[in-house]
Amino acid sequence: MVQHTCSAALLYEGKEFAMKNETRDEIKFDHNGDGIDRRGFLKCMAWAGTGTLCVMKGGVLNSYSLSALSKLDPAAAMGELSFVQISDSHMGFNKPANPDVIGTLKAAITKINALPGNPEFLLHTGDITHLAKPEEFDNVQQILKEAKVKEAFYVPGEHDVASDEGKEYLERYGKGTKGAGWHSFDKNGVHFIGLVNVVDLKAGGLGTLGHEQLEWLEDDLKGKKSSTPIVVFAHIPLWSVYPQWGWGTEDSAQALSYLKKFGSVTVLNGHIHQTMQKIEGNVTFHTAASTAFPQPAPGTADSPGPMKVPAEQLRSALGITSVNFVRGQKALAVVDSNLSE
Amino acid sequence: MKRAIRIVGMGFLLVAGFNQAAGTWRGTKAEPVLVAAQQQQMATEVKIDNFSFSPATLEIKAGSTVTWTNADDIPHTVVSNDKVFKSKVLDTDQKFSFTFDKPGTYPYFCSLHPKMTAKVVVQ
Repeated sequence: MVQHTCSAALLYEGKEFAMKNETRDEIKFDHNGDGIDRRGFLKCMAWAGTGTLCVMKGGVLNSYSLSALSKLDPAAAMGELSFVQISDSHMGFNKPANPDVIGTLKAAITKINALPGNPEFLLHTGDITHLAKPEEFDNVQQILKEAKVKEAFYVPGEHDVASDEGKEYLERYGKGTKGAGWHSFDKNGVHFIGLVNVVDLKAGGLGTLGHEQLEWLEDDLKGKKSSTPIVVFAHIPLWSVYPQWGWGTEDSAQALSYLKKFGSVTVLNGHIHQTMQKIEGNVTFHTAASTAFPQPAPGTADSPGPMKVPAEQLRSALGITSVNFVRGQKALAVVDSNLSE
Repeated sequence: MKRAIRIVGMGFLLVAGFNQAAGTWRGTKAEPVLVAAQQQQMATEVKIDNFSFSPATLEIKAGSTVTWTNADDIPHTVVSNDKVFKSKVLDTDQKFSFTFDKPGTYPYFCSLHPKMTAKVVVQ
């Protein structure tokens, strides 16, 4: 049975985070008065699965970690629209935190293919590769071919664009996109917007969308009915997860201001290699786990570098996300769930 | 004060290395004259580790070459705020060097992780 877990880990800013009663035991030691029990957070990390299934159902966007797929109630996976999110494959990474990123990405695809009811499409929220080398992109393309989805949509991470200003990325994924690769599309009445916040970053700053993209976004949303469910996806979180580590986007507030009139907005991000959720007004924010290696919870380490976990635990710390959408209710809410017992 | 200690330390290493190359190992104490001579074209190192540049502020003489080495498991770049220098993406253990001919302050950052900032001060 699906249970809510680990949302408690998101209380560190003292803001409105979804905290479920059954997860209160995750905060046993709050040494810093910030609502994070480091041990509890690591426990949360362990269930992160290898991705997320998103199912829109009855106006509620449900996301299921696929760490324990066999426990998924098939009915829960059915909706008006379902898709999967994977992130941070870092193809080419070969350090001790995960010497086999090919293997873990393949494992994520295997889980996607085992889902009841085929997800409509796949979203990759960036850091597809580690160094943007052609052979790294080739490897990912080869592996993703095996995914039983009709389509795949991408946004770049900073690793995909740093070596060559995004040339290789755009050659492969830039068709039909604007600027550095931003784009939008509609599926089953849901409007999807892929944003790029990893190019032209300024010293001392966070992720950046930039003036040109913000103008495009404003224009893209013009004429859309406020009842249209919106799903925004981008690599770096569009909410302030932990600015000290660069986990946020400078000008996300302006982007979000364009989304205010919509009843249901879901924001899907990657970059931080761990799952998190936050609900703020009409907007629900999610970050997905990495298929490659976990990173520490905010502030729990000297730096956000790769986290080495025992080999037998690695795969349970990696993830995919799936989303299921069913129209019906006025407001869209997101429930972050996992599949553990 | 800190800088003086580092310079003496470097001088000692250079002298020791020289003697080693000559075939006789002697833990020679650095001669002040030699330290002053070395100071002009002293190669200077910046380590990239734990998502930070160290030292965060590096003071050097004009004409010095600075070498950055990435000791992280994650790639970084060394990019001048004012577009004076720019490294390619440095994977683990890769290096980037730049020679500073003109005095001034050169702030720089990692273009992948822009929270990583530091500066080179050239006298």
